[in-house]
Amino acid sequence: MQTDTSTESDDTLYIDAISAALSDEMRADPNVVLMGQDIAGHGGAFKITRGFLEEFGDQRVRNTPIAESGTIGIAIGSAMLGIKPVVEMQFADFISCGFNQIVNVAAKMYWRTKHSVPLVIRLPSGGGMGAGTFHSQNIENWFLHTPGLKVVSPAYSGDAYRLLRAAIRDPNPVLYFEHKFLYRRERSPVQTQSVPERILGESSILRSGTDITTVSWGWMTHRTLEAAEILSQEGIEVEVIDLPVLSPLDHRGIIQSVEKTQRAAIIHEATGTGGFGAEIAARICDEAIWSLDAPVRRITYPDSPPPFHKGLEASRIPTPERICCELRQLLDV
Amino acid sequence: MTDQDPDTAHSRKPNPGTPFTSKSVSNIESTPHPAATEAAFGSLREMHAYMRLAREWDLRFEKMFRTGALSKWYSSVGNEATTVASACAIEAGDSLLTLHRDSGAILRHYLDINALLPGVLPQDPVIRKPMGGDSEHRFLRLACQMLGREHGFSSGHERSYHYNLFEEEWGLFHIGMISHLGSMIPVAAGTAFAYQQQGSDRVAINFIGEGATSTGDFHEALNIASVWKLPFILVIENNRWAFSTPTSQQYACDHLADRALGYGIPGVQVDGTDAEAVLSVMQTAVARARSGDGPTLVEAMLGRHRGHSEGDDSLQQVPEEELQQYGEQDPLDLAEKRLIDGGVFSRAWIDEVRERCASLVINTVDLAMSMPQPDVHQPRSIYAD
Repeated sequence: MQTDTSTESDDTLYIDAISAALSDEMRADPNVVLMGQDIAGHGGAFKITRGFLEEFGDQRVRNTPIAESGTIGIAIGSAMLGIKPVVEMQFADFISCGFNQIVNVAAKMYWRTKHSVPLVIRLPSGGGMGAGTFHSQNIENWFLHTPGLKVVSPAYSGDAYRLLRAAIRDPNPVLYFEHKFLYRRERSPVQTQSVPERILGESSILRSGTDITTVSWGWMTHRTLEAAEILSQEGIEVEVIDLPVLSPLDHRGIIQSVEKTQRAAIIHEATGTGGFGAEIAARICDEAIWSLDAPVRRITYPDSPPPFHKGLEASRIPTPERICCELRQLLDV
Repeated sequence: MTDQDPDTAHSRKPNPGTPFTSKSVSNIESTPHPAATEAAFGSLREMHAYMRLAREWDLRFEKMFRTGALSKWYSSVGNEATTVASACAIEAGDSLLTLHRDSGAILRHYLDINALLPGVLPQDPVIRKPMGGDSEHRFLRLACQMLGREHGFSSGHERSYHYNLFEEEWGLFHIGMISHLGSMIPVAAGTAFAYQQQGSDRVAINFIGEGATSTGDFHEALNIASVWKLPFILVIENNRWAFSTPTSQQYACDHLADRALGYGIPGVQVDGTDAEAVLSVMQTAVARARSGDGPTLVEAMLGRHRGHSEGDDSLQQVPEEELQQYGEQDPLDLAEKRLIDGGVFSRAWIDEVRERCASLVINTVDLAMSMPQPDVHQPRSIYAD
């Protein structure tokens, strides 16, 4: 039914990596149950669970009514008694309807009671497709401010596969932000062996450089790499750090890189004010300010909801050209 | 009321939203049971012992609150018949989700009262087997929890009934509340979902107040539970006042139990001051859930006896005659009148049960007071390993 991932594959689509991670983990653990709107017969809005109903049956692949809070709450209760629920938000934007269950029930449960909530919520997020205000947002920061949640933001098929399986195995609530723009555009190797048991903070240097450090995640990592390639031709070497996991945050890798390059920029698709870039900038200032030769720059969406028109939307999402321009400014300081 | 200003007078109008169903205990005529044996009153006797224990528990903490020994208290006084009878209808392995007025359900579910007060009840239980395990230890930890002590279930990190207790070896699965009322309804339904997935015949019960029926979680959870036929019983403790808001300002239907019709499930309104009536309704609901027929919505009609929390002035909003009426419908008075009028149990025996319960509570709470405070330097992880 799904892309065959029984061996290492060189060219797995991001969306197929997500499907494969779900089905492989469902085969490995009979307690894994999927819940979401239209995920059963229809296979979900993005067809990620197409064929799951036939393989796993309607007990484990549950269509839910349109009730994010009720569904997430039911997932929480079942997770406390041995079920491993994976809840699909049809679009990440809709998670606001289940906000309280996530930030006050799930996130705080372990701290309050020492009872864990092994819950995964999948969030198809991000823009770039002219999908309009309520189908395009990047809302990871709503949850990064809440202690007790883990937040994942894969940019590559391999990370998408590995981190989704790890998220399901992790005893904590994990919000898994999967970028819709990458679904059928990103294609890269997937390693199906040796799946980690936990989500741990990780930062990965995708390109080594000596002149400036960038920090990004999701789709923006791809655009930052494009910018780094352009700047390299100008003799500017960018060290590109990707954050497949935003919480817990591995900031040590960022600090070490900034101490080497002495300049830093954070690129994210989410809006800027109060965004996670501000947190990373603050950490750099806390721990590496004496290494800096320039201010820490944030390259983000402006403070507005996503517009519908593709041109209007494109003008707001950081492009490789804009990233290049802003990084050059930092190097002129 | 004539001497009050018009605004205050308006807010103190009798609450017309929900008709009273309970009678004052003094107006109830009960006659000796035709076969006046202890066995005939066994169920009530069993419930009464736990109701009395719960009452003494609350009276003790109310007193401590008044003397400043406790920073906050929410009283369960008046809810004991509903909570104890509901907990009598479940068994080991079932999940219990409580609110801040459910000490009766917690004590009934956690404790073997005979282990704590030998001879208060016959050796063989009439309604349900007591929870296995160490009742004395559990009771002490519960008192420590109320007092924020290290030995409490949350080691001082969470307030009063905001905690969980799982003892899997005994089948004890109790999940406490968060402050957002109604939020635990889906979580309770989720424990029922786990039972359904696991092919178990266990059930979940959850208490809410009538105020929480106005939340989205009430609708969302009850709807999903009904569509999925989850083994779930939702008990509304309708004490007719949510903080200071009367039912007339909370909902426009006659009976909240009628809302069940909209979910395609049974809805039952019951006199929540009558332990035997509640037990019967709950046993039916639990049997239905165990047999796979899905949820039941139970509306237990109660009266407001105390403020939203002790020490607030919310009770000022309840008209005096209404408050007096609730006082005359005290569930413990009703149970004790039935036991005595039945011709089997004497007032002296009732008094003895009360004194023994009160002593047990005082001794346990005193011991908890002497237990260590939480270590403020001890880190507490936000993540499970």
